[in-house]
Amino acid sequence: MAIRVPSLAKQMLDASRGVLEESWPEIKDYAKAEFKKTAESIAMIVRLHAAGKLTQKKARLHLEIQKNASRTVLLTIEGMGIIAVERAINAALGAVRDTVNTAIGFRLI
Amino acid sequence: MRHSGRDTARVLRRALQLTVVAVTLAGLGCQIKLVADYDEITDRSVTALQREFELFFIDVERNLYTPDAVYDNYIGFYDEVRAELSVIRVRAAARPKNEITVEQLDLVAQNVDNLEELHKLGFESPEELEPLRAAFQQSFQAILTLELAKKRGQ
Repeated sequence: MAIRVPSLAKQMLDASRGVLEESWPEIKDYAKAEFKKTAESIAMIVRLHAAGKLTQKKARLHLEIQKNASRTVLLTIEGMGIIAVERAINAALGAVRDTVNTAIGFRLI
Repeated sequence: MRHSGRDTARVLRRALQLTVVAVTLAGLGCQIKLVADYDEITDRSVTALQREFELFFIDVERNLYTPDAVYDNYIGFYDEVRAELSVIRVRAAARPKNEITVEQLDLVAQNVDNLEELHKLGFESPEELEPLRAAFQQSFQAILTLELAKKRGQ
C-alpha cells in the first residue's frame, strides 16, 4: 500500500498542533504570573533605594539576584516548551503509526 | 504489460518517498525524549533546600536590628546550602538531557554568592528581605515546576 506523503504530513501536523495548542495556555499563564512577581520585586528595589534604604551597591546586588531568578523562570519556560514539542512529535508519530506500519508491512513505529 | 519510462519514474519516486519517511521514522524511534525524566530525589532535595532558605529568612528577620543578624552568625548556613546545592547539581548533571535543570541550579548558586555579599554589607529592614525571599522562592518554584513537567502525565 502506497503512502501519500501530503496526507501523512497533514495527519502529523493536525496531531501535533492539538498538543501544542493545549500546552501553550499553561506555559503562558506561568510566564505571566512569574514576570509580574519579578516586576513587583524590581519596583520594590527602586522604592527602597529612593527611600535611602539601599545603597547603589546593594541595589545592584539585589537586581542581580532578581535577574538570576528571572533567568531561572525563563529556563523553565524553555523546558516546558521543549516537553511540549516532544509530546507533539510523539503525537504526530502516533497519528500515523497504523498507516505506516500497514504500508511497510511490519511494526516500524 | 510493459511499464513505460514515465511509470518507472513514478514508482521510483514513490519508493524514494517511502524510504525517506521510513528512515526518518526509524531514526526517531517509537517515542522521542528531548528532556530528562522526572527525578523524585531532585524534587525532594530542592524542596528541602527551599525550606532551609525560608528558615534563614525567618531567622534573619527575627534578629534584625540586633547583633544576632550579622553575617558571621550565618556562615554555617552559607556553607551548608552551598554543599547541598553541589550535591543536587552533581546528580542533575549525571542525568542525560538535564542541562536546563543544571543551569537553573548554577543560577541559584550564583544568587547564594550575591546574597552572601549583601549579608556582609548588613540587612537593615524587613522590606529589604522581601524581594530576596521572593527571588529565592521564585527560583525554587521554577526548578520544581520544570521537574514536575518532566512527569509528562505519568
